[in-house]
Amino acid sequence: MKLLLQIRHLLNLYVQQFKTTFATMVQYRASLVIWTISAVLEPLVYLIVWSTVSNGSGGSVGSYTAQGFAAYYIALMIVNQVTYTWIMYEYEYRVRQGYLSFALLRPVHPIHADIADNLSSKLITLPLVLIVAAVLALLFHPSAGLHAWALLAFLPALVLAFLVRFLIEWTLALAAFWTTRVSALNQVYFVLMLFLSGQIAPLGLFPPWLQTVAAVLPFRWMLGFPVELLVGRLTPLQSLEGLGVQAAWLVLSLLLVRVVWRAGVRVYSAVGA
Amino acid sequence: MNFLRLFAVFFRVSLLNEAAYRVNFFVQLFQSLLELGTALAGLAVIFSYTTALGGWRPDEMLALVGVFFLVGGVISLIIQPGMSGLIDSVRDGTLDFTLTKPEDAQLLVSIQRVAVWSLLDLLMGLGVLVVALVRLGEKIGGWQAAGFLGMLLAGSVIVYSFWLILACLSFWFVRVENLLEIFRSMYEAGRWPISLYPGWLRFGLTFVVPVAFATTIPAEALTGRLGIGSLLGSLAAAMGLFALARLILRLGLRRYSGASA
Amino acid sequence: MTAPAIRLRELCKTYLVPEREAGTGAALRSLFHRRMRAVAAVDGLNFDLAPGEIVGFLGPNGAGKTTTLKMLAGLLHPTAGECRVLDHVPWKRERDFLRQITLVMGQRNQLVWDIPAADSFELNRAIYRLPVADYRRTLDELTGLLDLGPLLKVPVRNLSLGERMKCEVAAALLHRPQVVFLDEPTIGLDVTMQRRIRTFIAEYNHRYGATILLTSHYMADVEALCKRVIVIHHGRLLFDGDLADLVQQFTAHKTIVVQLEDCAADLHFYGELVDCSDGRFTLRVPKAETAHVTERLLADLPVIDLLVEDPPIEEVIDRVFTQETGRENLNTTPMERGQADKKDIQGYA
Repeated sequence: MKLLLQIRHLLNLYVQQFKTTFATMVQYRASLVIWTISAVLEPLVYLIVWSTVSNGSGGSVGSYTAQGFAAYYIALMIVNQVTYTWIMYEYEYRVRQGYLSFALLRPVHPIHADIADNLSSKLITLPLVLIVAAVLALLFHPSAGLHAWALLAFLPALVLAFLVRFLIEWTLALAAFWTTRVSALNQVYFVLMLFLSGQIAPLGLFPPWLQTVAAVLPFRWMLGFPVELLVGRLTPLQSLEGLGVQAAWLVLSLLLVRVVWRAGVRVYSAVGA
Repeated sequence: MNFLRLFAVFFRVSLLNEAAYRVNFFVQLFQSLLELGTALAGLAVIFSYTTALGGWRPDEMLALVGVFFLVGGVISLIIQPGMSGLIDSVRDGTLDFTLTKPEDAQLLVSIQRVAVWSLLDLLMGLGVLVVALVRLGEKIGGWQAAGFLGMLLAGSVIVYSFWLILACLSFWFVRVENLLEIFRSMYEAGRWPISLYPGWLRFGLTFVVPVAFATTIPAEALTGRLGIGSLLGSLAAAMGLFALARLILRLGLRRYSGASA
Repeated sequence: MTAPAIRLRELCKTYLVPEREAGTGAALRSLFHRRMRAVAAVDGLNFDLAPGEIVGFLGPNGAGKTTTLKMLAGLLHPTAGECRVLDHVPWKRERDFLRQITLVMGQRNQLVWDIPAADSFELNRAIYRLPVADYRRTLDELTGLLDLGPLLKVPVRNLSLGERMKCEVAAALLHRPQVVFLDEPTIGLDVTMQRRIRTFIAEYNHRYGATILLTSHYMADVEALCKRVIVIHHGRLLFDGDLADLVQQFTAHKTIVVQLEDCAADLHFYGELVDCSDGRFTLRVPKAETAHVTERLLADLPVIDLLVEDPPIEEVIDRVFTQETGRENLNTTPMERGQADKKDIQGYA
């Protein structure tokens, strides 16, 4: 009974946060455009670079043709748009301005408001990106093996990817409690993401040892895995295994959030708001 | 020359300011090296699958990376700080102080802020460029070198003028800072030769946001790919855009000081 | 007679201000058609300043003081009229002109925030191309006059407001300008610091003969520094003359407020009748006769209440505004009006 009530309250919180974010977004239309441009440009550039390599290498690189790359990177663009966060910048800003006290005073864990803010912004930007993806599809003729089961499995994979990525990046954002040099830390993270989540190249193109490394680390499960699933590069067994790994990372990251948040609050209150 | 003298003064002041924060230096060093490492690793991945990217060989791509960091360093060092400083001073009225000084307003606003540690990016780019040049060695002729330097200068002038025009929009509109960010995002596309991109993207990166002039065109000049027509065109574009930017700044200042249109 | 350092003739500045009613309908309409209202910030000013004068520029908020100052400094183009400073047209912003003027704004800083003031001074030295010897000499003198010694090596952001202001003023005077524009230089400062700045300005004017135009809310600034004041309101000149004259004109009198049964009585014999409402007479009486008139009133008339007022200087200024523009507010006593303006005048100690 109490649980139901809690869920209702939480849902209400999310709805309210949606409304607030929506209103704010309408004000800051320009920054929306900028984010969208970056979100689109990066996968597009890699799409083109790899297609060029592919065309110059007899039509394919590994198991990817130019059209295969097109499918991969367009899917990446969409998945990235769903899973990305800017929470590290957010917390750096909050700590610097002293707004964290507000978050700490609330009876609800601040992560809920942050998730709500993140998702509600995407309600606006995702349609934009989907339109761009459609246009790019027309221009670059992607080809992928789409299977019904893969599409079904894609949804949970996407949700898990979002959660794992958000939780881990949220934990990383808390580094702002300990240091002001978060930009350096963020950069390290982004570099790891770039190479190990399937952005700079589909992970299937990496040497086996590197693929193993990528499988052990969380980055692939935040981005690359749903993409590979969607464009039909995984067998049903691999997909199932992947979902399992994602679930494991979800549990791990929940634990991580808990531990780091507690430590962070202690540090923050010790130093004083 | 007056410009150099004043720039030296502003640079020294910014350096003194930053020197107090030694940690920033090491953080910036770390970040710059990481960025360079990432760029080189990216190249390594690509070139493990091919010997030439759209006709560009590894050493030529290295030169492009060098130019990318060099010009990126110039942007971070003076252009970006100066232009966002201009936007701020229009908004809070401190532009008034600049206007009561007996010095060319454009000069003052352009060099008023120097992000000193971005010098690291600049030097890094230079270093990479030197390495690339050594490896390309015998293939560079005197004319090519001259063309390269010319295109580097033209590219910097074009980027500067572009940023100045955007910054001047703050005389008429609010919240222009975001526009400057757009260049930053699109500049990333300059890591790769613009010739790889489809026509519409090439057009956008040349004539809408002049990324091509900053990166690809100097690199093309260096590697002997640039025709005399494009070379002259770039020089003309640099001069034209500079004149346009100066005009727009003058119009903006007139608006700021309430002169009848 | 030497040429005036500053001369204004029918100087005007009109702004177009967008006008819009409240409500969504009006907001939408305003997207297509914006209604503009012309606001005359400065409306036909005329005055001359001789070289070496210190003149106080007084007026309430929005009177047009800062606008006038900006036009004199070349920051704003006038809408009409003429002004010359040191025989230059300010808004042309000729180098020669800019080298001889300076602007200090109490509410904004030109010093670079994160570095010691001394380094900001170096910047100005480079910009104004001051020879090293001259620069050092001026800096030493300013340091002495303003007591800057320990402040110069401290980053500006670590200075208190008063210390910062002293450094701002010094930075503005490094190039020994002939004309100094001070826009509310003492605003927000504590009383001691205000006095310090005032003493400095007076000393600077005495030593270097610079022409100084100073705007302020604080009468104390003007009283301490300016023999001559120019009072403007709604962009128009209301008074231009000696401060002593201004004061004399309005406090050579006192105000007597007498409450009688009604307004029927004729009191013009006792003093100048300012107004009467509901039996409440307001009389202006020469200071010397106050006691005598009061005595007579009390003796001769069925006085219900009597009040003798000595208007404070802010009140004097207010009188200049309200009386000269004929917009006297009949619902408050001069004293109440004075009180209301006191709240408006920031930081009145």
